[in-house]
Order: sequence, then structure tokens, then C-alpha cells
Amino acid sequence: MVKVFVNGVEVEVDSTSTILKAAEKAGISIPTFCYHPRMDPAGSCRICAVELEDSKRVVMSCVTPVSEGMRILTESAKVADARKTNLELLLLHHPLDCPVCDCGGECPLQNMSFSYGASDSRFESHRNDEVEDIKSDVLVFNSNRCILCGKCVRICDEVQDVHAIGFINRGFDTVIGPPLGKKLDCEFCGDCLEVCPTGAITDKFVRYQYRPWQLEKTKTTCTYCSSGCQMNVETEKEAIIRVTSSEGEGPNEGSICAIGRFGFSHVQSTERLNKPYARSFSRLVPTEWDFLIPELSEKLRAIVSTGPDRIATLVSPRIPMEDAYLIQGFTRRVLRSNYIDSGARYGFMNAAFPIAKSTGTLRPMVDHQDLLKAKVILVIGADPTAESNITGLFLKRAIRKEKARMYYVGSESVSITARAKDHIRVLPGGEGLFSWVLSEEISCQESGRHPEFLSRKEELFKSFNVDPQAYTRLVQDLREAQTAVIITGRVFHRLQFAYDAMESLIRMSHALGWIERDGCGILPLPETGNDLGVLMMGATYEWLPGLLDSQDSDNKKRWESTWGEPLSYGKGGGLREILEGINSGAIKGLISFGENPLSHFSPQSGVREILSKLDLLVSVDLFQTSLSDQAHYLLPAASSYERSGHVVSVEGFVQSLNPAMTYWGESLSDGEIVSRLSECMGHPVSSRLTSDVSKEIFTLMPDLSPSTRNGEHFMGPTGNLILPEVVSQPPHKADRNSVASRLSEKTKSVLSPIFPESIPGEGEFVFALNKSLFHSGKMTLLDTSLMKMESSALVRINRQTAKKLKIKKNEMVLIENSYGSCTLPVELTSGVTENELQVPYHFDSPDLLGLFPRELKYSGPCSTVTMLRTRVSLKKIE
Amino acid sequence: MGIKKFLNTIMFGEIMSGLKLTFRHMFKKAVTLQYPHEKLTLPAGYRGFIVQRRYENEQERCVGCDLCEAICPAKAISVVGDIHPEFPDRRYAKEYTLDFTRCIFCGFCVVACPVNALAMTKEYAHSSFTREGLIYSKEQLLTLGDKCEEDSIEYLKFKNMWDAENSGKEEGRYHFPPIPSVKSGG
Repeated sequence: MVKVFVNGVEVEVDSTSTILKAAEKAGISIPTFCYHPRMDPAGSCRICAVELEDSKRVVMSCVTPVSEGMRILTESAKVADARKTNLELLLLHHPLDCPVCDCGGECPLQNMSFSYGASDSRFESHRNDEVEDIKSDVLVFNSNRCILCGKCVRICDEVQDVHAIGFINRGFDTVIGPPLGKKLDCEFCGDCLEVCPTGAITDKFVRYQYRPWQLEKTKTTCTYCSSGCQMNVETEKEAIIRVTSSEGEGPNEGSICAIGRFGFSHVQSTERLNKPYARSFSRLVPTEWDFLIPELSEKLRAIVSTGPDRIATLVSPRIPMEDAYLIQGFTRRVLRSNYIDSGARYGFMNAAFPIAKSTGTLRPMVDHQDLLKAKVILVIGADPTAESNITGLFLKRAIRKEKARMYYVGSESVSITARAKDHIRVLPGGEGLFSWVLSEEISCQESGRHPEFLSRKEELFKSFNVDPQAYTRLVQDLREAQTAVIITGRVFHRLQFAYDAMESLIRMSHALGWIERDGCGILPLPETGNDLGVLMMGATYEWLPGLLDSQDSDNKKRWESTWGEPLSYGKGGGLREILEGINSGAIKGLISFGENPLSHFSPQSGVREILSKLDLLVSVDLFQTSLSDQAHYLLPAASSYERSGHVVSVEGFVQSLNPAMTYWGESLSDGEIVSRLSECMGHPVSSRLTSDVSKEIFTLMPDLSPSTRNGEHFMGPTGNLILPEVVSQPPHKADRNSVASRLSEKTKSVLSPIFPESIPGEGEFVFALNKSLFHSGKMTLLDTSLMKMESSALVRINRQTAKKLKIKKNEMVLIENSYGSCTLPVELTSGVTENELQVPYHFDSPDLLGLFPRELKYSGPCSTVTMLRTRVSLKKIE
Repeated sequence: MGIKKFLNTIMFGEIMSGLKLTFRHMFKKAVTLQYPHEKLTLPAGYRGFIVQRRYENEQERCVGCDLCEAICPAKAISVVGDIHPEFPDRRYAKEYTLDFTRCIFCGFCVVACPVNALAMTKEYAHSSFTREGLIYSKEQLLTLGDKCEEDSIEYLKFKNMWDAENSGKEEGRYHFPPIPSVKSGG
């Protein structure tokens, strides 16, 4: 520690820190252009100049380290002079086109010129007059306005690790852009747009359509994936213009992915439902809420009066906790049914259930900060960048800056596999077996292992092409590592034996002593924004709110006393039991809140026929979906940009959703629809206000009170650093002591081996549905901006395979099996294994689900519907 | 009662002294104008109706920068900017509405305009039976501008906003992408 004096204020800072950090600690802000707290300093803009009192020298504060007794002046005449001269030089070629520049009004360069009064330059020069680069569909590069601070290039390299843009040419001719003057092709996260201090990089979707001072900012949480990004939704006259982020704020620390930043146009598309519809004579006709609610509640009452468990509800895992809480309360109290399920049943339940069963909580043991501290990171069956973008960013940072050893286990190559110490390639279907073998190897002594262990391990190496040496290195590293994190994702959770594989991993982490050790644990990535919150609120048949067993009479009593009503629901069930119940006629009604079971089953599976047996089908959604064709009532729902509530992020943060605009048309939030129905059916709710529901939840479950990551730095409007205020909040991670005491109760039972999914035969391919970086579910297909980034499905094929079959880029191929066939254009990649085909699952055409088995297939004790892989043959269309 | 006062009363003295002013004005130049047959000569810098202006090549000057909307104290102006349909690197006002029922004719918008696209004219006699009739669109403002081009130039000259544009000196001026000389309706 060294002592320095900033403007006479004495501060003690670490000897490695810079003058800028010392000033920040002293509460004095220094303007910057090129400095960014998340990146290494560059010292290129020369605006953060400060004077050293002793040597009378002017130095750059962002790159100069402090020394003992240093006396620093940040506002002396010499400093002002230096900054003014620098501004004059920056403005030498800068076009004075602020009136037409999209950055005008929020431009640090403009603010700084204004405060230092350097609008006239003493130097004779020309103004830059280069043509803008408008080749990209997303960003516009205007080299004239660029001050070459390099922030965009550095954030792309250091934070995003994408390396999509760079400096082109040298000297006066330097411009920023994609290499070789090509069209920009990257992850379109828009972080460069966010950090650019001038209008050199601007957003093409809303180019010239707004002025920053006209926009109204609303801080809210993104609900596309579970990262829980804090973002500012900027609206003008009730229309969303753009989404920005504040540096340092929230778990994302200022980064947002392409979907969060650009994917908002679908919520204001003309296809949004703006009126409730009721079916009359086989047609859906618009109606009014005031007629609809009594009519619908009368129908529901008629079904409920025939007995418990007659109506089922399905809940989308994108809705906030409050709505999920109201919906499950409505289902259990008013509809007297325990047939309730959420979108987590399509995979994430396979991770959530074993974790909640053995640890008693759904909060993760580790968060993103622990990723940075981890020595070893094991990623199995996950693409963190696409599934939870911020987890991906922290993972990249852990590898790049903290030198963590990352092992990637999976068949495909995703953007992070190139950075892995070992990419342990497993042929598709072997991930479950891998987890079991790994867990057995690590958890047990040689004598205690399962008798089949050796033969299974052999099978893993032989049939699934696992590299034995890499495997040994992984085992060694996991055993020795002080801190280690396992990340599981969509592919892992959708495996046929995902439940058992997750149990194996939990057992292994227990055996390794990770439960007691801080910084170690498993981080499962949920598929959508609020999977965790919806499950915690009991929107699933297994649990009452607070993850309490719904069939346990004590738990029932507890909630009976809270709600002041007897609970007389039956056994209930999840999606499988709901469909079986409808088929057998036991269930007469289904209310779907933003969920569409049809889009998760093969069209020939007969789900449509099963649903047609319903007496009452209510679909609450933003848009018309395939379910609407059968719905008796189609109710418009508010989007997450319009409602309030709280969502739980992958790290366990409970963050708030705030309405950026009023409800679209006559739409209502799911919670409000349920409250109205509930009132009409004679079970009044205590309050219709979401804030009151939040209060109720926070009083009943105090550990769910709002929390968020408080960043180390925030960036002010002129690039100056602001220290965050420390606020007290409940811990977001699981309590290790309670988890440990609960886990140790469980005996170290030997888990039976996991059978791998069969390996494709000669000439056969594994056809896998994966998540795209630019889409989230099917909702974003109506988003014009995201559709510009990815407009149709391409099948990814291994280069070598394509060469063998003489298939070239963008050629059409026929994919078929005994269930169906489809034709798709080809994208060549070395990222998938030789007998694997990968297609993003989002697109409706061609009919990808038609390739899956016709019978309704469920996997594991949670009866999940996974639809991940099927086997097909491939033919080139001549 | 004195004799003087008596004479003054019977001779209507007070009335005469009042009429003296009237008779004096009979020989002075009349102030009243017979509007609408006669019209007033307005001084330079008269703040009449606001118009939009064009460049010499008939292209509209307005770049849709919203500065007039920002400065307008009466919130009479609303601008919707967008990409120019012909030149994808240029900004233009897709919609520009000036509500003369709200306008207080302060002239701030003209001062704020970076491209001299706005000017005040000597037009004042615009009336309408409806409110909508006084909410002018961009086309109406441009048409009025074409009609009163001389007025608007005179106003800008009077306000010292004309020389900066035509001085040829680049420093201190906003620089926009060069305007193609081809004619376009804009």
C-alpha cells in the first residue's frame, strides 16, 4: 500500500494501481475517453491528463502507476490547458455534424468540448469526409467521427473475445471496421456500440430515428435468457426505440447480447394480440374482458364442480415470480387442481429436480465471480455463449485473464471450445455415460466401484471416441483443484438420462468435498429468463411455493393457513400426466400461459388430437400460435417490457422487471387475468397490484428479496468513474452449511450406470436441435431485427463429411428418416463431429420436429420432453 | 360667479379646447390603414409565420436534427427523423409539423437551426376555421417558404445568420456530407 495525495486529499491505495484508480478512491473523477474499467488501459486518448506537483509533469492517469508520496493535481491550469489542446487535436478532423449524429446529446466528446470550450481549433486542417460503412445490417461505421480510442476493438477482444473489428491502415488513414473491409459478421452483441464515445459506431435499426434527450429510460431485467442482464429500455411515446446498458450495472456489468439489445421489435409488431378472442361457431371473434371474464369463470366453475384435478395449467418460464405465484395459487385454491407445469419440463427440470432434492435449494452454489476464481472449469453439454451469454463472457474472462483450465465435454464445437485446455469430444449421446464414469472414478475407491465401471469406461473410450489421456488429465485436475466449477446446459439437461447424469455430478461434487469449499459447485444454465423463479414459486406439480413437496400434508397445512383456504387438490401431474389425463377424459380444461405444447412434439404425435378432446382450452399469449387454432379463448398477454415483477437469474439474483410501456392494446399480465378470474369465481385475491404480491412473496420467503450484483465501477456521462453505493441484500447463492448438512444425510448410494443413447450406424447421422445465438424460443421469429441477423435455418455439417458427400456451401440437402423428411441449405463447419447434423430449433419451417419419433417419449423420473436428437440419413439434392 | 366664467360657459369654451386637438389632427397624416385594401410595410426582422427553406438545387435544407423541437418553449414543433430514402447516409425529417396554434413566434427555432432551414417571414394573415388548419406539415411549410423566399433571406440577414453560411469559412460551421447537385424533390 502506498500513500498518495490527490488534490491534497490523502488516500492509501495498492502499489499496483493507477492514478485514475487512486483519484476515484479519493472521490475525484477524471474525464476519460479510452479508459474502461473492464479492460486493460490503452492511454490513447490523452484526455485523462493530470499534473504531478513535484516534477511539474503532465502524465496520463489511466496508465501511470502510483508511487509513494505522489502529489497529483487533477484540475490545475496546466492540466486544463493540456486537455484543451488534446481536444483541439481530436476535433481537428472530427466532422462537426452533431445535429445529424445519433450520438449528439449523449456524446462525451461533445460534453467535454463544451466544458473546455475548445470548439475552435488553432490548427489548419481538413475535415474528414470518408463514406460511411453501411454494409452491415446492424451497425454503421463512420470513420470520420472516430477518435481512435480503440474501446470498441478492445471490448471485442478482451470482453467478448470475438475479435470481429480492428484497426485498419495506419496513421491518419486509420479506420475501425471489420477486417479487409468486409461485411461485419459477428455475434452482434453491440458492446462496441455501447462503449463508443462518439457517433463512429451507430445502430442501424434505429438510425436517425431518435435523439437521446427525447428518450425515456426504464431500468429493467432481460428475460430472454437467465443471465439476468440489467438494461435500460429507452422509449419515446410508448414505443421502444433502443436498449442500452449502464457500465458496471447488474450481473452483466454493461454487456448485453444480440437478443437482449436488438430483439424488441416483435413486442410492438402489428401481429401482437390486442383484444381477447372467444370462439363462436368455430371462429375466434374479438370480445371484451368484461363479457369474457364472467363467461370463462362460469365455464371453469362448471368443470371444477365435478371434482378436483379437472383443469390443468401450463406456465411459461418467462413470466415473473409474482405471476407464477398467482397462477399456482389460482390452480391449487380455485381450480382445486395440482395439474400444473412449466416450460422447465422441456429439459431444465432434469437438473433442477435432483439439485433441489439433494440440496434443498435451487440457488446455485457458485456464481460468475466464482468462475473467475476457479482453477478448473468443466463444461458439459452446454453452449454458455448462446444459452446464458453473460456466463459465457465470464467463462471467457476466466480463461483469458485468470488462466483457468477449461475442459469442454460435448460433441460439437461452440465458440468457447477453441479456448478449452482440452475439448473432450464425445460422440453425440455419450455425455451421460461420461458423467457417470467420471463420477464413479472420482467418488469411489477402486473396490467400491460399480462392477460395470471398467467395461463402461472402455465403452466410453472405444465407442464414443473419448481421448483417454484428456480424460485422465481432467480427473487429475478435478481431484487436485482447490476451486472448480461444473457448467451444464441445454444439451446436457435434454439427454435421455440427464436426471441420472446430474445425480452423478452431485455425488461427485460431494465426494470431492466441494460442498464445504467456497468457490466450488455446479452451475446449471436454465433455458429461459425465469426458470428458477417459476419453479421456486411452485408452478410445477411437485412443489408448493418454496420448493415444498406438494403432497406433504404439513406443507399443505402451512399454505392453507397462509391463504386462509383449505387446499383440496389431488395428486396432479406434469405435462405427461396432463396429456394422459386429457386423453383419458379426466382433465376437461387446460389454461396455457404462454406455453405451447404443440411446438415441442412431433406433429404426428397426436398431441393435437389429444388437445381437441378438451372441453375448454384457454391460450394466453402475445401472438397467435399453433395452439390458437384449437383454443376456445385466446387472451392477449402483456410482454415482459410492459409488466412489473421479479425474475431469478442463473446466479440466484432476484431482480425486478419494470414496465417500459403500458400494456399493449387491451392485453393484461397473466397475474391480472388470473386475479380477475379468481375474483369472479368467488375467491378474491388480497390485491391486484403486483407490488403487493411481491411484498407478500418477500414476507413469506424473505430470502427471495431483491438482490443484484453491485459492480465495482460505474461510468458517468463523460466517461468518468463513479463508485457504487454499497447496499445490503440477501445472499444470492445457496447456503453451504445447510446444503452440506442435508447432503451428508444421504448415503453414498451406488448409482446404477447410465446407458448411452445408441451410436448412429453406417451412413446414419445424428440430427440435433441446438439453440441459436440470435433467437430465443419461437417468439423472436417475429422480430425484424433479429431476423436480419439470422433469417432461416441452416444445417451445420462437418467439412470432411461434406467433402465426402460432395456437398458445397448453401446447397440443399434432403434429411430424412422413417418419420419424415425435410430439405435445408447447408453450412459447412468443422465444429460438429463427422456424423452429426445441427439445426437451430427456433424456425417453424421446415418441419424439424417431424423427424422425431411419433410416440410421446418422456425421459427420466421427471418425465421430461426433450426432443434433442434423432437419427436421420442425409442426401444431396441434385 | 365671475364674468369670465360666464362667457366661457355660453361660448362652449371647454368644447372648443377639446375640438382644438381634433382640428389639429385633421391636418396630420393618417395612421389608420384601410386593411385589407392597404397594407403595412413591415420592418426587417418581423417575426411572422415560420417557413422551411430549400437549397438552390431545390433540395430541402432540413436535416431532421430535432434541435428546433428541443428548444421550442411552446412545444409547437414535432420532428420525426429518418434515413433519407435516396441517400442512405443522410438524415432527413420524415415528418415535420409546426402547430401555429401553439407557436408563440419567439424565433428560437430559427436560431437553433444549424442549416438555416427555418426562417421567419412577414406572413401573418393565415387563419383557419379549424385547429387542424393551423397545424402545418413539412410540405405546407416548404410551399410557404418558396413563396416568401425573399422575406426569409432578409430575416436571416437581419439576424446575422446569413453570413456564416456564405462566408466560405469552414471552421465553426457544421459540416455535413456533401449534397449531390442532382435535383430531387426530397
